[in-house]
Amino acid sequence: MTVSAPAEHPPRSRDAAIVVRDLTKKFGDFVAVDSLSFEVAPGRITGFLGPNGAGKTTTLRMLLGLIRPTAGTGLIDGVTYAQLDRPLQTVGAALEATNFHPGRSGRDHLRVLAATHGIPDSRVDELLTLVGIPAAARKRAGGYSMGMRQRLGLAAALLGDPHVLILDEPANGLDPEGIRWLRGFLRHLASQGKTILISSHLLSEVEQTVDDVVIIANGELVRQGTMEELHGESTALVRTSNARGLIEALQGAGLEAGDEAAQGPGAVRVTTDDLVRVGDIALAAGVPVHELRILRTDLERLYFQLTESPERQNRNRSEAGPPPSGPPVDQPPGAPGIPGPGPDTTRGGQR
Amino acid sequence: MSHLIRSELRKYFSTRMWWGMTLAMFFVGALFAAFTGYFTLYGEMPVGQAMVSVKDAMPELTLVRMIYSAGIQFGYMLALVIGVLSMGQEFRHKTISNTFLAGPRRHQVVLAKVAALVVILVVNAVAHIAGSVLGGGILLSTAGVTLFPDAGALAQTFALMALILVVWGLIGLGLGVLIPNQVAALFLGIAITLIVEPLVALALSFFEGVDVLAKFFPSQATTATLSVFDGVDPALAEAMGAGGDQLTWWGGAVTLLCYALVMTLIGLLLTRRRDIA
Repeated sequence: MTVSAPAEHPPRSRDAAIVVRDLTKKFGDFVAVDSLSFEVAPGRITGFLGPNGAGKTTTLRMLLGLIRPTAGTGLIDGVTYAQLDRPLQTVGAALEATNFHPGRSGRDHLRVLAATHGIPDSRVDELLTLVGIPAAARKRAGGYSMGMRQRLGLAAALLGDPHVLILDEPANGLDPEGIRWLRGFLRHLASQGKTILISSHLLSEVEQTVDDVVIIANGELVRQGTMEELHGESTALVRTSNARGLIEALQGAGLEAGDEAAQGPGAVRVTTDDLVRVGDIALAAGVPVHELRILRTDLERLYFQLTESPERQNRNRSEAGPPPSGPPVDQPPGAPGIPGPGPDTTRGGQR
Repeated sequence: MSHLIRSELRKYFSTRMWWGMTLAMFFVGALFAAFTGYFTLYGEMPVGQAMVSVKDAMPELTLVRMIYSAGIQFGYMLALVIGVLSMGQEFRHKTISNTFLAGPRRHQVVLAKVAALVVILVVNAVAHIAGSVLGGGILLSTAGVTLFPDAGALAQTFALMALILVVWGLIGLGLGVLIPNQVAALFLGIAITLIVEPLVALALSFFEGVDVLAKFFPSQATTATLSVFDGVDPALAEAMGAGGDQLTWWGGAVTLLCYALVMTLIGLLLTRRRDIA
């Protein structure tokens, strides 16, 4: 279920496309990003995950030279963003889907950006066709749907044919059809060998797309690794009336096995993905098998545990005035300088 | 750098504001010139006890110049708006992120905006002057006055009008950087020039020694630049609203350029450090 990209361990440090080292940003007393370090391997899709207000957008904006870090550095191809000679041809970034002048057509928006690097209009039209909005892009952007804004943002990011893409919540506001289109589109880009860093507050949104994950909470790194590492070792679940006997038989065959009380009475967990072998061992031991299946890692639960465990409780939230009444995944109320991907407030013909 | 300037020009000319503003400049020029033409060519003003015909009391060049430059005060307010919006729109619609992603060396972006504004304001100045010549010209013809009594001197006036519009545009740009909220920036810019500046000038006039400062204020320097009351009887000039002691035309122009320079420097410094969230 993971990806078509190379499965070997990602190369670290030396060849990293993006290096974030001890990156820190304080807005007054508020620590948005707290000495965060991670690396993004070239040619892979990396999911940059964390709940709303975790500091994802601030980190990306520091990496892109839009926000000055309080400490630390963010490097792309070994240099800071401001040192890139022709930035749009190295890094493409799509930050927020609302970054358009409502009175300017989508096509002209791209032409304005294209002019900065002497990119011809033909490239603009080529990209509009690629993201599927060639006709609509000639209308003023004020009337665009969320999906069109995301597509236009992607087109803008790809303008200079960069080999690194940084996408901030590109799936935000997309309908299921749009999300499916986005997945296919990202796979297409990854197949061209591009390095993609894609942020999201939902693991489920990107788990089918990404090769690697960087998970942060509260501005700090929680977990970095491949999707395989996140899934952990494969486990099978066996249900039987004789749990003790089955565990002994499995352990006798050299497998790691134990009770799995969480899955109900008579459940046994085995560390293997070979269901045939488990069944054969049970038969040889004369133990009845009532259920036998691969136990999927509940990634969403794992992600929730990683980012929401008590010691990770979002201190942004507790300091921001009255305690929130909603569920813990709510946006922190008005965390300074961190524009969460909240409701789109700048839409609709205002100027 | 030239790429960034091209981008800024595309930015301006790809929204409806560009022709809306050009039309506004044209009509402001035409209407103010026509009205001023009507009052100066056919009106009388009290000087002492007597009523004098304004037309007869003024050198012809000054009369024509006053008519053609009648809309400049409104015109430079529009130029200020163009300058403020050049930055303010970027903050308002958050396009500033894209702008700085494409131009991460931010001082280059500000300088590109300055260069683009010069071009944009010259375009607007041409529209404004064309409107003024049309509106004023019609009235001058009806009164039988030559349209261009001294072509050289009037060419200088037109060039100075363009300079005034450019300078006020750059003041607006600095203001737009200083106050990222464009509505607040516009409000403050217009309030300062139309209300605060005259009040401060009035207050200063009560104090010996500091009252000379008033002539360096932006609006007063602008009036001085055009030598609107050149060769007019001081009593009549005062009746028509001349503001007492004025700079020479070049003194006014240099003063205005200093304002533009200071505001651009403020823009450069602030833009370099600002976090774009």
